[in-house]
Amino acid sequence: MYRAPSRRKTKKEFVKPNLIPILDAVFIFIFFLLMSANFVKIYEIPSNVPIISDAEPPKNEKPLALTLRITSSYIQIMTGVPSSTLTRIGKTSDGFYDLEKLHSTLLNLKNRNLKEETVIFEPIVDLTYEEIVKIMDAARELRNTDPALFAKDKDGVEMRLKALFPKIIFGNIQS
Amino acid sequence: MRSARSIRKRGRKRTSSTFDLDITSLLDILVIMLVFLLQSTNSTGIIMTVPKDVELPVSQSATPSNEGVVVQVSPTTIWVEDKEVLNIESNLRASTDQGGRRIIPLFNELVKRKELIQLSAKSSPEANKFGGVINLIVDKTVKYSFIKKLLYTSAEAGFQEYKFVVMGIEQ
Repeated sequence: MYRAPSRRKTKKEFVKPNLIPILDAVFIFIFFLLMSANFVKIYEIPSNVPIISDAEPPKNEKPLALTLRITSSYIQIMTGVPSSTLTRIGKTSDGFYDLEKLHSTLLNLKNRNLKEETVIFEPIVDLTYEEIVKIMDAARELRNTDPALFAKDKDGVEMRLKALFPKIIFGNIQS
Repeated sequence: MRSARSIRKRGRKRTSSTFDLDITSLLDILVIMLVFLLQSTNSTGIIMTVPKDVELPVSQSATPSNEGVVVQVSPTTIWVEDKEVLNIESNLRASTDQGGRRIIPLFNELVKRKELIQLSAKSSPEANKFGGVINLIVDKTVKYSFIKKLLYTSAEAGFQEYKFVVMGIEQ
């Protein structure tokens, strides 16, 4: 007698993957990462010791010798050897240095001296460290809103510049 | 009726039912946590301790930290690698020379650290060489007149590269 094949026998069983070893590995990984995580982002601003050199500067190129002299009421931007005042950046109505104006002035200077990377800081007034860091940021960083600057590297390939004047030197630490 | 039901169940095995836990949602959470932790992992391997009296200034800088001798400065105390070297409030004047420009206890400690690094570099080729790098963890209220002393003392001790440690802006 013909019997219809049982459905129970032909039914495919759904195989669940065994996730327990993966879970074990993920847990160990999480503990390892928790130990090495730093939730406060700490960065640095590099600066070099000023060095007085006896060597003569190259005759073909005029050094920019960009210097920021910070007084209690303004920031004096000086260039050249011997240095001459380019402009003065005063304070805003809030009583803080006009860092936006300083940044745009330095951006113009950078546009004309694309290979120049050094800026000398000479704070005359007794600023707080926080104020110095803000001025350093205005002189160092190229913002996303700034126009793109390109300079040729050693191989002659044009590369986009990532920083304004990233090399900061404190010129008056001996005074 | 009863006998019919018993006949139907006859062929089946009596298995004790196990509690099947659905861990899919737990896995989802773990994966999200994993991604978040991977993002915030310190891959440089450099550990810097910021004392509780020190509040770092905020900066736009995105340059990662480098290895070097760590000097921590609060408005009252100077530490070198977590070791207190000077209490500024009580005896700063007596602890300076060269016209108040050089801080003697800091200078001595930095020279000691430098010699230690140089010695270990000589004894083991795998040890880090002295790079002249100093990481300055300075409180944001400290005045420039004091920072100048720090920079001068570090330079006198043979450290040519200053790294001002700052707090990054969350982006």
